Amino acid sequence: MYLIVNGLIPMPRWSLRRSTVAIVCLAQLTIACTAAGSPASPTGSNASDVASRTPAAASPTPAAASPTPGVSLPRSSAEPPSATLAAEGGDGVAGQLGSFTWNGGGSDSPWLPGTPVKVGAGELLTVTVADGVVVSDWSARRVPAGTANGFGAVGLGGGPAPVAFRAPDPGSWSVQVLVRFAGGLGSASYYWQLTVR
Amino acid sequence: MTTLKRPAHPTRWFTIVAATVAALTITLGGASAHGPDPAFSGGPFGQNQDLRFRWRAGWEPASAIKTAIKAAAADANASRASKAATFTYDAAGANPIGYGVGATCGVNGLACFTRTVPTSFTMWLREQGHVFDWGTLKWCQAYTTPPSGCYDAETIALDEFGHIEVLDHHLNYATDSDYADAVVQAYSRTRAAPGWNMHTFGRCDVATLQRQYDMQSWTAKYSTCLALTTILTLTAAPTAVLSGASTTLTATLTVADYDSYVRLGGNPIASRVVALQRRAPGTTTWLAVGTMAVGSSAGTYVLSQRLTTDAEYRAIFSSPTAEGLNGDTSPTVRVYVGGCIAATALDATITVPCI
Repeated sequence: MYLIVNGLIPMPRWSLRRSTVAIVCLAQLTIACTAAGSPASPTGSNASDVASRTPAAASPTPAAASPTPGVSLPRSSAEPPSATLAAEGGDGVAGQLGSFTWNGGGSDSPWLPGTPVKVGAGELLTVTVADGVVVSDWSARRVPAGTANGFGAVGLGGGPAPVAFRAPDPGSWSVQVLVRFAGGLGSASYYWQLTVR
Repeated sequence: MTTLKRPAHPTRWFTIVAATVAALTITLGGASAHGPDPAFSGGPFGQNQDLRFRWRAGWEPASAIKTAIKAAAADANASRASKAATFTYDAAGANPIGYGVGATCGVNGLACFTRTVPTSFTMWLREQGHVFDWGTLKWCQAYTTPPSGCYDAETIALDEFGHIEVLDHHLNYATDSDYADAVVQAYSRTRAAPGWNMHTFGRCDVATLQRQYDMQSWTAKYSTCLALTTILTLTAAPTAVLSGASTTLTATLTVADYDSYVRLGGNPIASRVVALQRRAPGTTTWLAVGTMAVGSSAGTYVLSQRLTTDAEYRAIFSSPTAEGLNGDTSPTVRVYVGGCIAATALDATITVPCI
């Protein structure tokens, strides 16, 4: 395991690593298949930077997507919840939040450098969104770190949740994971800067 | 019959299942890449609703940014190709647009918006020189000669207007080769990268605006980001004629009425090219008759035929290259030719006196 965050020492190998991976995967499946009922909570320091506003008083048209039945959704936050990336059952690292749409609003950003993370080539990386928010589908891409404007992006995977993909070849990569939230809640891009050994 | 043997160790079985699921997920790849922009669950504003904006008191944009935002509003109005809401500057408008350090765009946002359907919206743009973790914001409009790496405020504001309409971020191909298909993108580009200065909605923005707000007219073109199924029907009146008499064939072309087409389902499709073909009953070779003329009702096409023998007809609508409609072929219609008694027996609508 090569998950090293901001200079922390590598995590020790653990005999239950494979079962941990399984638990992560099945937990994501469970989230995707069952109702998630966590209430809203502010998303760290970013939340204070976003003005509060009246929740959208929208009355969806018959044609618009309706929320997933049985899903209790955090609706009070002005930003989507944080997302963490974990490798092979290691601790999750929160990504940099880029463009998003959420709760009747949204924000647009450039391709961001991402939160530094060190992983091993080919390791299975999983991304989990906090607060029990359900991801409907996702896509992941990478560019060489330091590349402006997302040029030369290469797909790392995508499809329905859970969010899981293999670490790219050795090198330094800026990875964008774009998720769409179930129930028409919106979408968000999260970024990590992977140093792949 | 083969039966899978469950491993003795439950943890191992658990691991195999999880690994299989993960592998399947990776193998399936991006399921939702490309297509019309996703739409917000809050739904659209009213058709052609006139949304008026003003500058937010205390947070008025710099002059060059004001010009860019007004230009973006005009861009949205001119390129919506639908009955999407329009944006108009009005000093007394209900919807504030702000600029500066008061922007509530989160940590990394260049610009942001809120929308409260059906009444209002807000928009913010960050101030020139704002320092982010990733760099310093440069608006191209702030320079006489815009430097490389600046953001075009007109493009960014058009992106925000698109969100306000109903558009969520476009889902690109993995390589972003389709970046120009939408202004409403998951990340913004700087000068002079492709797509940095788009001043019209992209075709996949328009596709969703059309689905959510409907077409401006039945003759308007559908976005090529759509691939709508069409329904072509054909009738003949009368269906039985005397030898040497005429029948009028009428084709009707509509958009299939699927829920996913939202407001487009069932729309008449007018002023397109619909061709008529004919064959002798019992044969398989179709012969071109001609192009049908546009009928008096929207989505109808007509052509009269003088007959001396029975004939079968069908109408053809070929997939156009310049819009998002799939072609269709009508069911076959047979027209009978006979003597007076036979003809009147076959078609009660025949009013020609039998002499």
